Amino acid sequence: MKELYPAKQVGGFVFSLFLTVIALLVYFMDMSFTLAMTILVVTAFVQATLQLVVFMHAGETKDGGAIYLNVLYGIIIALVTIIGSLLILIWDM
Amino acid sequence: MNVKNAQPLEYSTHQNQLNILGFWIFLGAEIMLFATLFTTYFVMEHRTGNGPTGAEIFEITPVLIETFVLLTSSFTIGLGVHAMRIGRKNAMLAFFGITLLLGLGFLCVEIYEFVHYYHVGATYQTSGFTAALLTTLGTHGAHVTLGLFWGLFIMIQVAKRGITAQTANKSFIFSLYWHFLDVVWIFIFSFIYLKGMM
Repeated sequence: MKELYPAKQVGGFVFSLFLTVIALLVYFMDMSFTLAMTILVVTAFVQATLQLVVFMHAGETKDGGAIYLNVLYGIIIALVTIIGSLLILIWDM
Repeated sequence: MNVKNAQPLEYSTHQNQLNILGFWIFLGAEIMLFATLFTTYFVMEHRTGNGPTGAEIFEITPVLIETFVLLTSSFTIGLGVHAMRIGRKNAMLAFFGITLLLGLGFLCVEIYEFVHYYHVGATYQTSGFTAALLTTLGTHGAHVTLGLFWGLFIMIQVAKRGITAQTANKSFIFSLYWHFLDVVWIFIFSFIYLKGMM
């Protein structure tokens, strides 16, 4: 039975629950908008990285470099699209 | 045609390796799909017109259930892939089955949530905010629905043919898809719900 629950995956799951609880602090506690958004950005990206490395085995073969580069490219384009649109349409800069 | 024996079965042929790399490139395109939806949502977030705001319609309980159910399903499919790698077919099918049941549970809560939005007057055409919200949530929910059927068919294949280079490859690729949906949900949870409710 034990060999079905590798420590790496169980640890990853516990850590992902922990990150979710930290993110929930912004709901259950009073804090400034800046601090809350900082907590959310950090927990969301750490959580995404955790899934990518522990559960999706992104780096385990020789294609790992291409996979990480592809994901990084996707994230950069995503951030440029989101932040660029906010800059023009919401933040009025 | 074994390329490298030390690698798990799902990578065991050149075709299998290309399938996995190709699926990662598809996931890159999916990142962009959800990025455009998030962009629209952030732009429309405060354009509520005469309709309700996020803080007025979001409920913490269903959101928490959805989040923990999906996180757990991401863990169980991870265990399923691990069981597959050590050749434990029944354990693998059990973990995949639990994953799909959790996915179904997630979907039920999400449907409840959509009905709730309808009842409090937040429909697709109420405001820019509700349109962007329901499109983003709906796109994610549609992905989960597709995943349920896809996962079910994969399970049938594994049950019939056993763990072969082909079925292992398909199962692994399905697990990538499922984890990706969990990652998208984390961003929905953080930047739509928690940001809207704080």
